[in-house]
Amino acid sequence: MRIPCPYCGSRDSSEFSYSGDATLTRPTPDNADAMFDYVYLRDNPVGLHREYWYHAAGCHAWLKVTRNVSTHEVIEAVLAHDEAAS
Amino acid sequence: MLDLAYISAFSGLRSIGDGRGVIARERRGIAIATVMARKGQGTALAAAVKEHFDINLPLGPHGSGSVSTSFLGTGPGRWLVTHDAGTPRFVERLAQQLEGLASVVDQSDGVGLLRLTGPALLDVLAKGVAVDLNTTAFPAGSVAVTQIAHMGVTLWKVDETPTFHIAIARSMAGSFLHWLEASAAVTGLVADG
Ligand SMILES: [Zn+2]
Repeated sequence: MRIPCPYCGSRDSSEFSYSGDATLTRPTPDNADAMFDYVYLRDNPVGLHREYWYHAAGCHAWLKVTRNVSTHEVIEAVLAHDEAAS
Repeated sequence: MLDLAYISAFSGLRSIGDGRGVIARERRGIAIATVMARKGQGTALAAAVKEHFDINLPLGPHGSGSVSTSFLGTGPGRWLVTHDAGTPRFVERLAQQLEGLASVVDQSDGVGLLRLTGPALLDVLAKGVAVDLNTTAFPAGSVAVTQIAHMGVTLWKVDETPTFHIAIARSMAGSFLHWLEASAAVTGLVADG
């Protein structure tokens, strides 16, 4: 699998670390139940999904990658901090 | 401040095999620094780099430089700076010039630099680099932060001869030479100075 890093270009997935579900929003720390769900309870979706990947062996940017987890087709990758800013 | 004795990172570089497929030379006495833009200071940083060095700060994975100083894009808001004119305390001065705009960290003693060229260079690099380094995908001036045999490297194409400069953590220099010797032996590796 190759991931199109917006900064570096197309790179092998071995340069990246998978860093979790990008569709979740971190709850406030005082909400223990919501935090428990956020940390421990994972969905196991089929088809399109959004994930965080960290380009550890490249530009050290966090990416939000949209990919089909059934076929491994990568549809899009954007810089997470760009998206957070917009 | 005490001036420490300089010890070469690539003193183990030696010629191996027959032929002149890859020609390697250590780049010595280079001032090296990482520069990371402070939050929201990207525009001001670019203006300061323009003012002090007359260099257009590259926003992508490219190098941009004057005769002696290069700014190499290594990530969003991050650059590797090299300076080979021997200016004393170059990095200290750079940190002052970019005060408040960027974090500047001296890497001169932590990073080893090699200059690689030769007719077999692209074939040899292809044994370790999973990035297309041919002219269309990677023209002169391009920079890649990637890995070779699990070792983190920053490499940039200086010209289409092709000549590459490669930066690697000094603690990996011995292992990197091992990879280079094993990969280039078949075409011949020449240690040039
Ligand atoms: Zn990247």
